[in-house]
Amino acid sequence: MLDRGAAIRLIVGFVLALAFWFLFSTIYEGAVAPAAEFLIRLGESPAVTRLEAPGKEFLLRRSDIPPGAKQPGLPSADLHFNFVLLAALFALHPKPWRTDRVVKLILAMLCLYAVHVVFLVFEVESLYATRFAEWSMAHYGTVARNFWAGGFHFYQIAGRFAAPFAIWWLFGRDTPAEAPQTAAVRPKRRKRKN
Amino acid sequence: MNWKIFRRPAANPAQRRSVGFLARFMVLLVVFYLIVASRPVNDYVIVPFTTGIAAASGVVLRAIGEPAIVAGTEIRSGTFGVNIENGCNGVETALLLAAAVLAFPAGWRQRLFGFLLGFAAIQVVNLIRVVSLVWIGRHRPALFDSSHTVIWQSAVVLFGVLLFLLWASRQTRRPVPTPEEKAGR
Repeated sequence: MLDRGAAIRLIVGFVLALAFWFLFSTIYEGAVAPAAEFLIRLGESPAVTRLEAPGKEFLLRRSDIPPGAKQPGLPSADLHFNFVLLAALFALHPKPWRTDRVVKLILAMLCLYAVHVVFLVFEVESLYATRFAEWSMAHYGTVARNFWAGGFHFYQIAGRFAAPFAIWWLFGRDTPAEAPQTAAVRPKRRKRKN
Repeated sequence: MNWKIFRRPAANPAQRRSVGFLARFMVLLVVFYLIVASRPVNDYVIVPFTTGIAAASGVVLRAIGEPAIVAGTEIRSGTFGVNIENGCNGVETALLLAAAVLAFPAGWRQRLFGFLLGFAAIQVVNLIRVVSLVWIGRHRPALFDSSHTVIWQSAVVLFGVLLFLLWASRQTRRPVPTPEEKAGR
């Protein structure tokens, strides 16, 4: 699996994915923001959060904040640059352009999209729960603060790197790595001659 | 009505092993994250370790002619300065490798060997990353953000994943003992 050809495909895939990411990340953010906004507003009463994606950051606009007041922005690249990892891992396959491989890549990208939406919700809620001093204390209990902030911190430290690997492991591998204990073939028993 | 049509075909052993690996990997990753994120481990292990990375980077930078000054986890070179934080010290890739190596069925000695060798290799690549980022930050500041966030982070994690795949593919097959061997003959 990891021969010279795989290394070349990986590097080419990495470079192509980087180019694709640089070209289309702003459009992609335009698809992530409304889905995350929908989920956040499900938990709000009244629903006040609005997320905009002008490029390079998600702008958080709340309808209950006075006009002209400073609105927070969340860096966007940190959330979804792991697309490059996923695409590069898919390029490891000897024929990544085969139809079934492309279908699997699309499925994997949809999974990663769901991950991005969920963790953008975590990022926004984490901001609400920890960065607005008295307002945060009044609206979020200790458990809620730890849940949202811890969830987003997990994504920053481990989740954003593990997600593409886990998704690729599910969708992208052709031949699963064999477990040593179970991979061995038992020798055939000879029949006894009477 | 034939209810059998609603039944999913049973997963083959390879699929079960694959999903089992993934479940173990995720659980171990969360456990390792909780350990690393805890304040005592962060203060007494991660921060001193990151300080060591900054010091080593400073040595390399000075060796290539950069006027680097290191203070704790901060590196300054001319007018440019960076603070090495979690996510830039290679620990996140090491967590990934540790969870994957432990989740994969192999002997303990092979696991330990795989992790230690992988950890050292990741740190070498991470050192190159830190040195190159300080150089880019000083000489090509416009390229710093994309190099830092997208290119180098992806490259280091990809390197860690490849190390794991290489290690996993080279595991020696441990033969299942035959009944005669089990009986001690």
